[in-house]
Amino acid sequence: MTKYIFKIQILCLALLVLSGCNDFLDKEVLGNSTDKNFYDTRYKLQAALNATYDILQSDEFTDSDWRFGEATADDVIGSDEGLSSQMGQLVHFRFNTSNTYIKKRWDINYKGVHRANQVIANVDRVQLSNNDYSKYREIREILGQAKFLRALFYFNLVKTFGGVPIRPEIETVDNLVIPRSSREETFAYIEKDLREAACMLSNRYTSSNSGKASAGAAVGLLMKVLMYQATPGTPSEKWEQVVELGKYFVQGASMTMSQMLRYDERYNEDWETLRKRLWFKPKELNGETDPYEGPDFEIAKLVNAYTFKYTDATGSPITYLDQFYSAGEFCSGSIFEIVFKESGDGTTGDTNEGSSIYSTLFASGSPMYADDQIIANIFGNDYRRNFTIGHHQYTPDHENTEIGAGRILSLKWYTPIKDRPTYTGDSGKNRRYLRYVDVVLMFAEALNECGNGAEALEQLNSYKAVVNELNNSSSLYIGGGYGYLRDQIWKERRIEFSYEWERFWDIVRQGRAASALKTFSTMRPNKRGLYFREGVNEIFPIPQTEVDISNGVVTQNPGY
Amino acid sequence: MKIALKTILGFLVIAAFTACEDDEATQPHAAMSVGKYIYDTNETMKIHFTGSAENVVIYTGDTDHDYELREASNYGLVVNKGLFTYSYQQPGTYKVVCVATNHTDAGNSIKRDTCSFMVKVIDDVTEIERLSAPQVIYDEVFANPVNETDWLLRLPRKIKFKTSNATVSLSQKLKFYIGSDSTKVYIDDKEFSSTAKYNLANVLNIKLKSHEGTERPYKLYTVNYGEFKTFELLGVQGTITRSEFDYSYYEINMTVPSGSDLSNLAPTFTLYSDNDKVYIDDVEQISGTTTADFTKPVTYRFVASYPNRPDITAESTVIVTVTPQ
Repeated sequence: MTKYIFKIQILCLALLVLSGCNDFLDKEVLGNSTDKNFYDTRYKLQAALNATYDILQSDEFTDSDWRFGEATADDVIGSDEGLSSQMGQLVHFRFNTSNTYIKKRWDINYKGVHRANQVIANVDRVQLSNNDYSKYREIREILGQAKFLRALFYFNLVKTFGGVPIRPEIETVDNLVIPRSSREETFAYIEKDLREAACMLSNRYTSSNSGKASAGAAVGLLMKVLMYQATPGTPSEKWEQVVELGKYFVQGASMTMSQMLRYDERYNEDWETLRKRLWFKPKELNGETDPYEGPDFEIAKLVNAYTFKYTDATGSPITYLDQFYSAGEFCSGSIFEIVFKESGDGTTGDTNEGSSIYSTLFASGSPMYADDQIIANIFGNDYRRNFTIGHHQYTPDHENTEIGAGRILSLKWYTPIKDRPTYTGDSGKNRRYLRYVDVVLMFAEALNECGNGAEALEQLNSYKAVVNELNNSSSLYIGGGYGYLRDQIWKERRIEFSYEWERFWDIVRQGRAASALKTFSTMRPNKRGLYFREGVNEIFPIPQTEVDISNGVVTQNPGY
Repeated sequence: MKIALKTILGFLVIAAFTACEDDEATQPHAAMSVGKYIYDTNETMKIHFTGSAENVVIYTGDTDHDYELREASNYGLVVNKGLFTYSYQQPGTYKVVCVATNHTDAGNSIKRDTCSFMVKVIDDVTEIERLSAPQVIYDEVFANPVNETDWLLRLPRKIKFKTSNATVSLSQKLKFYIGSDSTKVYIDDKEFSSTAKYNLANVLNIKLKSHEGTERPYKLYTVNYGEFKTFELLGVQGTITRSEFDYSYYEINMTVPSGSDLSNLAPTFTLYSDNDKVYIDDVEQISGTTTADFTKPVTYRFVASYPNRPDITAESTVIVTVTPQ
């Protein structure tokens, strides 16, 4: 009997303890941010935007960009090209759909998309302290930058994988699996973000605002996005739009907000709703002195905001290589940079500070390098071949390099001694992501595609003339038919953007990745490039796990 | 009693352990389903594994993945979650083998089951994507399709390069852009060579033969853009200026003695070919007969056509500007 009583007592005690827990769990935590109240001020929204920029600084992002943009193409020899490693398989195009680098590229760019979506989806929770026009502009610029960044991440994805799933801005557990959009739909989504950002941002940010994505960055990236949709040799609306934007950016043609948005053809949205969504001050609240941005409102001019003269942010002359170093940060030719310094507090272990390009690619045992033959192929007699460096040669600041015998590296990856951070976890310089020269060469290429060879040559030579100042040369590009001019523009692109991780995307876009890599494979004992399959390897496979976890809703690319 | 109990327990424990050693893997079952058995090259083949096994690999039968050569370092590809996708690069017939395996933890017992099917990969590309003369002086000039079989290459007679005007030969190399490496090209029944020069004065009979054996004929026509061979007005000979950017655009700038009446003149001119026709607007111009008003620049429209093929034409423009001295 006593045994029973004892058991009942224990049971009652247990019930009591358990029911007590309930109450404790229900209590709300006070004084903390939740996702409901987090975005209610500009500062909090800015914090979310900073977190999006953070992705660009991450090692995963940098790493993925050079592996795919440079190591797979025909300007480098990799230290790791054995078929037993994932990297070797990647650059030989003999990978399977579970390749780890393909998966990492997918993940890091979607991580960026997700963070940008946090800003975009929550912007309407911000409460303004007053109704000043400037308050709206502050929020609008944060939103615009988030749109630019989202476009940048999606552009990386569409270049790599073709059409990809467009993630909803607000994610819930009910819609985790999203089918892929088509290539056209994905591009349209990117274009929309960039066109809106181009209207929302300032043409260039300077001094303490340097590093923010500007309208220049949005328009420059938009031109690239349009160019990637167009095919060389085939007339298309996309080429015409690149020309139109080039006239606006380079030649100073005026452009209205509705022209930039292509409002008439792309929008069903009422103008005022659109304005409110993009955080232009609502018409009914506008004061007498506040500007009103109607469809015919002329957006800020970009001409002269950037030049390709080698001058720094204050207009003082710098050297060609300084464009890539600390001295040339935010220089007049730099449109968008991935800023590494601001988060560099010197502590190690924070991957978002970014290992420097210098320590990864230049300092010791570079994972990729060129040889004499490659350098000759890229540069020929061009003066810019002097901006590469070989075994035990002296850098511009007189450092004897430890590059292996027979290997050549680009000085674009170098960081001068005086700029090198004390802590290895930091990066000594920003990564140049988009330069004004790119805009001009895209403009030239589009002009040629639209049958305007004479003006294309003029644009191409406008930059060559600047390069000529380096060695007092007078050699310019020569006029010719469509094919000849196109080849000269492509040659200039290869030289000027060499080792900026652009080469693979460029040859794919130009439709000659297979032939370029086949030619390259004949130069290499390990025949790297021979296995590139035309019509298949221009895009990579969707990571196998994405196909698996979606139970086939996310379909694989053809050929994989 | 206690000792007896302990002994029994000891035996039981030993028995339990030995039983484990004899544990056998369960028999796996290999089975797969596939939508179809004939594919194009680079087309995705989807295989669903429908049997039951812990580990499944598929030997696709092509280079490095041949089941028969599994002892010679050929290997199978792992199947995840029952779905496997693959595509073949080379046409041919392949044996796809699925190997299903179960084994015990220590690997003492391994049981396998296999199943297989044959798949045929065909390469039947006979489509020309693009066709060009890759070395016209220095330029790559592309031909255009006129219809299903006929392609047309429009060439200028001369090309301006730097300060000289180089004559364009009708003997040119050709370059084919075709979706498959296995497709063979024949020109006038001889195998195409990328280094040989072909005489474009005649129609070239092109034949594409796919790996599968399908043949498709094409014809390549070449037409020179029309231009004036000579152009004379009021006793003055005009010289032609070319554009290095646009091969179908020419200018003639000439000066005539001052006081001449330019409003109603009939220039005398000669053409390179009887198949060239000259128009101002839609009125055909005849040397020494039809008149034009030269007080402002006159635009001549040339239509050069292939003999007996009025649908195969090259159009060009000559603008004549006359300035009184």
